[in-house]
Amino acid sequence: MKGLLKGYGAALSAFFFGAVLVWGLILIILPQLTMLERAITAPKRGLDSSVALSLSRDAQTCISVLKTYEMQPDAEAASAGGMGIPSASGMAVPSSSGMAVPSATGQTPAQATRPYILQCDRANTHKSLVRASGEPSQYLDTLYGLPVMAVSDGDTVEKQIATADEITKLAKALFVDLKAREASATPYTLANFGWLTQARMIPLSETQKTIEDAKLSKKLIGLIGLRFERDGKVYERIGLITLARTLSFAIAATALALLLCYPMAYKVALATTPERAVWLFLGLVIPYAIVELMRIYAWTVIIDNNGLLNGVLQWLHVVDDPIQFKRFPGTVFVVIVYTYVLFMVFPIYNVMNTLDRNQIEAAKDLGASTWRVHWRIIIPHSKPGIAVGAIATFMLSAGAFSVPRIISRGLQAEWFSQTIYNKFFESENSNVGAAYSFAYTMVCFVLVGLFMWLMRTRLKDFARVQ
Amino acid sequence: MRGKDVTLDNMSITYPNGFRAVQPTNLTIQAGEFFSILGPSGCGKTTILRAVSGFIEPSEGEVRIGGQNMAGIGPNTRPTALIFQNLALFPLMPVWENVAFGLESRGLSKRDRRAEAQKLLDLVALGDQAEKKPGELSGGQRQRVAIARALAVEPAVLLLDEPLSALDLKLRQHMRAELRAIQKQTGVTFIYITHDQGEALTMSDRIAVMNEGRIEQVGTGDEIYSAPQTAFTASFVGEANRLEGRVMAASEGMADIETPMGRFRARNPHDLAPGAEAMLFVRPEAMLLDHVENQLLARMQRRDLEGAFLNLFFDAQGTELAVHITNDGQVHVPTEGDTKIGFRAESAVILPSGPLARTGQELAAQ
Repeated sequence: MKGLLKGYGAALSAFFFGAVLVWGLILIILPQLTMLERAITAPKRGLDSSVALSLSRDAQTCISVLKTYEMQPDAEAASAGGMGIPSASGMAVPSSSGMAVPSATGQTPAQATRPYILQCDRANTHKSLVRASGEPSQYLDTLYGLPVMAVSDGDTVEKQIATADEITKLAKALFVDLKAREASATPYTLANFGWLTQARMIPLSETQKTIEDAKLSKKLIGLIGLRFERDGKVYERIGLITLARTLSFAIAATALALLLCYPMAYKVALATTPERAVWLFLGLVIPYAIVELMRIYAWTVIIDNNGLLNGVLQWLHVVDDPIQFKRFPGTVFVVIVYTYVLFMVFPIYNVMNTLDRNQIEAAKDLGASTWRVHWRIIIPHSKPGIAVGAIATFMLSAGAFSVPRIISRGLQAEWFSQTIYNKFFESENSNVGAAYSFAYTMVCFVLVGLFMWLMRTRLKDFARVQ
Repeated sequence: MRGKDVTLDNMSITYPNGFRAVQPTNLTIQAGEFFSILGPSGCGKTTILRAVSGFIEPSEGEVRIGGQNMAGIGPNTRPTALIFQNLALFPLMPVWENVAFGLESRGLSKRDRRAEAQKLLDLVALGDQAEKKPGELSGGQRQRVAIARALAVEPAVLLLDEPLSALDLKLRQHMRAELRAIQKQTGVTFIYITHDQGEALTMSDRIAVMNEGRIEQVGTGDEIYSAPQTAFTASFVGEANRLEGRVMAASEGMADIETPMGRFRARNPHDLAPGAEAMLFVRPEAMLLDHVENQLLARMQRRDLEGAFLNLFFDAQGTELAVHITNDGQVHVPTEGDTKIGFRAESAVILPSGPLARTGQELAAQ
């Protein structure tokens, strides 16, 4: 601390600490904690109090719409029809299918004194509560002892308003009560993580099932318990399958990138004269100067149905119809390796470059074969670079979003990052997305830790990689 | 005796960029000999070493070790071991693994390697340091690890590339004696590369003096020092006063040379004929005050006291002459006016004009 102040002065030291604080606290710890909190928070809509609240709001909206009929009772039913349905507030948006209960009264339109109003239809105390699949369904009135009440469109408008008012009051009181209860109970739940392990029934015809069962990947998935049969129906734990699939692809991509990059880095760093290494180095850097998306799009030009590869194959009359490469999981894999291979080359190259070439000569002079020189001298020296490169490539591959999206265009199984995206932005419960994302972070973290332990790399070794 | 002889047969080395690092060279190093190659940096001595160890193939001619032509035999299968200038110890391995590294490719079990390494570490008095990493050792200890590592593969020829240059003076002097003792004990042929003439003269059985890719002279330390064959050797090894001139008369191994300072008589090993351009070399310690033979007049410029010795520097018509005499407390040289100094004809030598070693002043100006 004193040394820092002496060396850099107060202003620079303050800036340094500020930057570390911003980086560590705001950019790393805070987002993770936020993500964790969201992940273990039950979805707002799913809480019983939320159901009570939405009931009270529906009833209130119903009242205000009904009041417009009260003021102009002679209005044409047809013209008024449009007024009731588009409610300005967000509450009118249809919520999960379980919550929309068809009108309990089942009145015939002939007796109607007013056109159909969605909110009045929903103002019904027999409202189902959100429960996870598998749990028995519950209803607001039966669980919390509310009287069965509904706004019946057969009644007079005044009567309807009175009923709706009654429902509003009951629902509001219940909401306040439930809210207090929920606040005092443990507010956190691991239910969001449960989605990850949930098994879904896969509807399959007999022939489809036979085909699917014969696939090696399905057998493997079955072997680790992610696919099973119950009562003649096939179930898959889709979340975990995607996770396992993505991770194994990412690991394989990292391994392949390492196999490609080690000889490349060796060639440039140690096996070439410095003058010529400059040109090789340039060859490695140039691809970096191309925007990642462009690097990926280049591949669509190659693998498209009427792309380069199919063109050549057809021209050579190897195939008559184009091969749908974008349906092959291998293409995503290949493009991922290509896109992130550079993140493997440079750390290895940098650390290899610091190896004293005399050590290689000394080893050779002492009788070591080429293989032994690599195994005993070059690889141990390059280990920190290999570890950094492998971690970078693995994390980038595991988190890849643009590559699977652009290359597969939805024609292949999802990458886990796509699943997270979909849970976040395209499902009703973004907290599940948070749970997926947090779980994924942790899994990757553990894998990286495991890898470092296997490589016997200590954190201080990374200081050798510049 | 397990050393082998090394022969360079008309060997020359030209680098891919056209630079000829070693001119065609014939050299035979005896089995079990401590042989030094002495020369300024860039003279090609390390290139010769690398050719013997197998890292470079000769462009012409051949390298033979124990009579066997080494063409096409890689460094990992030659009966040589090289000690690098920076030692090139393996920093990530403990000392014993460093020493036993050469045994790994021979398929010895770990236990045998450990035992063998211990034996060698005991030989270099590092028996208790086996588990340390090289980085934890002192310079002298690292030096000894490097020697043990090279000896572990039981080489017939040990090649040393200025391994002592990084050590400080006391340690360097001690290591000289140690290297010499190890060489005597093992009987391995040592080829020692150095630019330090002190090292070469104290340790070697024979020395080759090299300059610009060419071996100038091969001989024992005494021969190199006392009977230099070329102007380069005379100026590179030890200090020498140089007088340039023309041979006037020659007879029975002696010759007269005419210089701007006068006419002097000295040995004439090359039997230079009258009229030849020549240089006369005489060591400062061979210079005598008030000597009548080969006398010349010079004015004293500087007097450096070294304790037991006095270094006197004279100016003789623009040529600096050094005189190195024993300090018996009775030496009085006037600083004003000319002093008569001279030397015995037998202790001076007349050599053909040729390239000279660069002086300290020239090196400093570089």
